[in-house]
Amino acid sequence: VKAVHYVNQFFAGLGGEDKAGTPPTRLDGAVGPGRGLAAELGDVEIVSTLACGDDYFAEHEEEALEALLGYLEEDRPDVLVAGPAFGSGRYGYACGTLAAAAAERGIPSVAAMHPENPGVDAAGKAYVVPTAVNVAGMRDALPRLARVASTLAQGRELGSSEEEGYLPRGFRRNYFAEKTGAERAIDLLLAKLGGETRTEVGGGLDRVEPPAAVPDLSEALVALVTEAGCVPQGNPDRLPSVRAKGWLRYDLNGEETLASARYESVHGGFDVTLANEDPNRLVPLDTARELVHEGRIGRLHEAFYTTTGNGTPVVTATRFGREIAGELREAGVGAVLLSGT
Amino acid sequence: MAWELATFSADLLREPEPLEGVDVELVRPGEPVRVTHVLDAVEPRIRPDARPAFPTEGKAGEGRTNRLDGVVVLSCLDFPGEERPLHEQESIVDLAGPGAAFTPYAQETCVVLTFRPGRDGNEDAEAAARRTTLQVAEGLAQPTLDAEPLDVERFEVGSAADGLPAVAALIQLSDLGPLYHQYVYGTPAGQAGLPRIVDPAELLDGAVTSGEYHWAAMRNPTICFQRNALVRSLYAEQGKRLRFAGVVLMRGYEQSADDKQRAAEAAAARAQELGADGVVITTDAGGNSHTDVMLTCRACEVAGIRTTVILAEETDPESTRPILTDWVPEADSIVSTGNLEELVGEWKPERVLGGDTLLDGTAAATTGPIPVRNYLGAANQMGQLTLGARTE
Repeated sequence: VKAVHYVNQFFAGLGGEDKAGTPPTRLDGAVGPGRGLAAELGDVEIVSTLACGDDYFAEHEEEALEALLGYLEEDRPDVLVAGPAFGSGRYGYACGTLAAAAAERGIPSVAAMHPENPGVDAAGKAYVVPTAVNVAGMRDALPRLARVASTLAQGRELGSSEEEGYLPRGFRRNYFAEKTGAERAIDLLLAKLGGETRTEVGGGLDRVEPPAAVPDLSEALVALVTEAGCVPQGNPDRLPSVRAKGWLRYDLNGEETLASARYESVHGGFDVTLANEDPNRLVPLDTARELVHEGRIGRLHEAFYTTTGNGTPVVTATRFGREIAGELREAGVGAVLLSGT
Repeated sequence: MAWELATFSADLLREPEPLEGVDVELVRPGEPVRVTHVLDAVEPRIRPDARPAFPTEGKAGEGRTNRLDGVVVLSCLDFPGEERPLHEQESIVDLAGPGAAFTPYAQETCVVLTFRPGRDGNEDAEAAARRTTLQVAEGLAQPTLDAEPLDVERFEVGSAADGLPAVAALIQLSDLGPLYHQYVYGTPAGQAGLPRIVDPAELLDGAVTSGEYHWAAMRNPTICFQRNALVRSLYAEQGKRLRFAGVVLMRGYEQSADDKQRAAEAAAARAQELGADGVVITTDAGGNSHTDVMLTCRACEVAGIRTTVILAEETDPESTRPILTDWVPEADSIVSTGNLEELVGEWKPERVLGGDTLLDGTAAATTGPIPVRNYLGAANQMGQLTLGARTE
């Protein structure tokens, strides 16, 4: 079972701040803190140590990552261990970024640093073991880092962050609690009434900043976009009624109105009876055409974009938005009428 | 003494039933069986005083009701009509394998009723299946009438010492129209004069029954009212850590922003009438109903009543992005009953009841991992079960 260890120029023994511009390099076996780590890792052998200057990584992230991932490709370790970086921001960022990139490529990865190090946010799907803010915490950090690393190296699944001692990554995972949800609710409510407010899930919603107003609508190219599940009759492209995986674009073919004989809604989250009597109420083509004729809108984009907004994870819906907005921007669209249900 | 035999016309027979028939199977605890297309789960109950166990008039929660321990009636129906959501929202109970942990019926003897729909018509078929299921549940409890009970529990909100916080339960019942509503004394929730204060024992005694067929994991089947963990816990805590102030039933899926706001404020007003210092707000189904819960939470907090909300999450397991359908800053105390999107490990049952083909077209016996979302009541948002989600 093989591990590769990442450290900065200082911990690799290459030098201090004066050597922070050192490009990525590969050293055989365990180096510096890697020796203490190796002692804790048991059967897991540190086959190589990758090192990079903190400034070099910060200033040439792409090249540095490419070189380091190249070394990983050659060594094919069972786990990548990065740090501990303690409170050092640049070192922590390099550890987090490399660990995240390695994890994306299927190499189990763990970094170690202080919980407030900016590198924690960079670590993505990789694990981060918390440490003290400075190097005095090395002795305490190494056994905990080694425990997580060795579990990952053996291909075993890690338990909860609490049990295994890593920082929560933000993924929500199911578990069976000791108490029912009802009992937990009573506990939380009584605690809140007693002045101690706790929650099992945080709130917060994405806020989209409104863009600047359209300078002159009578000159603008306007597009119609909807999440109402509006499709040509018979749903030729099989848009799902819930949990859509993508979006569709349909040419308007110069039509003045969305006739009920030609369009329908396949949305599964509301009663579509009224909408299907007049699909313009989902995609207001009739009114938009009138506004064009009256000169209040410049032109209509000759295709409408549609998906089903029902049970779609936020991350998926965000992707739809980016993709559709990208096409519209390319087509020179200046404003969108987005109808929601 | 003379005997009279009265004769009536055959015209009194109702229209032919919208069901062609029903298959009945008994499944013992732990048998390797998967049950599909499950509508409802009901505990067998009967009343020694001959009043109905699932009354449509009068008041439940008085006198005595007999229950059959360790038995549950599961009703199954593959809807005949072409209504899209119903054809995607699968509802499964696994009596063994990894899925058994997510539905609590693996430890019980299941009486599985698989209804065979007749002519088209989802609503007629469902109504007949629901009526029959409740009748069967009542019939199964018949032998209790001539037997001695193992145990008798007494539910009465007695007095509690001054100084204990007064806690009420605000229980949301869906009404998004036919096939998506709960029943209060046999009346759809939207027509039952909600929000309304009820005696907590009414809820436990068959006053609320289920006819709501959204995502299976977020449903509140009838048994979750009959054995309601929240109301039972509040009874148990009465006089210890709190004073049980009462239960308010409120509607989910109010259809306009104005109606939602009005209903939220009305629910908060009912909680005030109960003198509640704090309320636990429960959720029924998903999406739109989560907005009703959040507005109710805000209305209560504005009225000076502290809140804890129970709800389920729909989070992409590979994402760390925001996860709640709706949220208000006042909702600072939330119990999560689990993430619907996580997959439950693959399992091959030896027998499938309810229907061999899942609504997504795969074979129920050999399909791959199934999301939590498709297990009946798995993430029940009244807090019936122990499932939760945490950040890792």
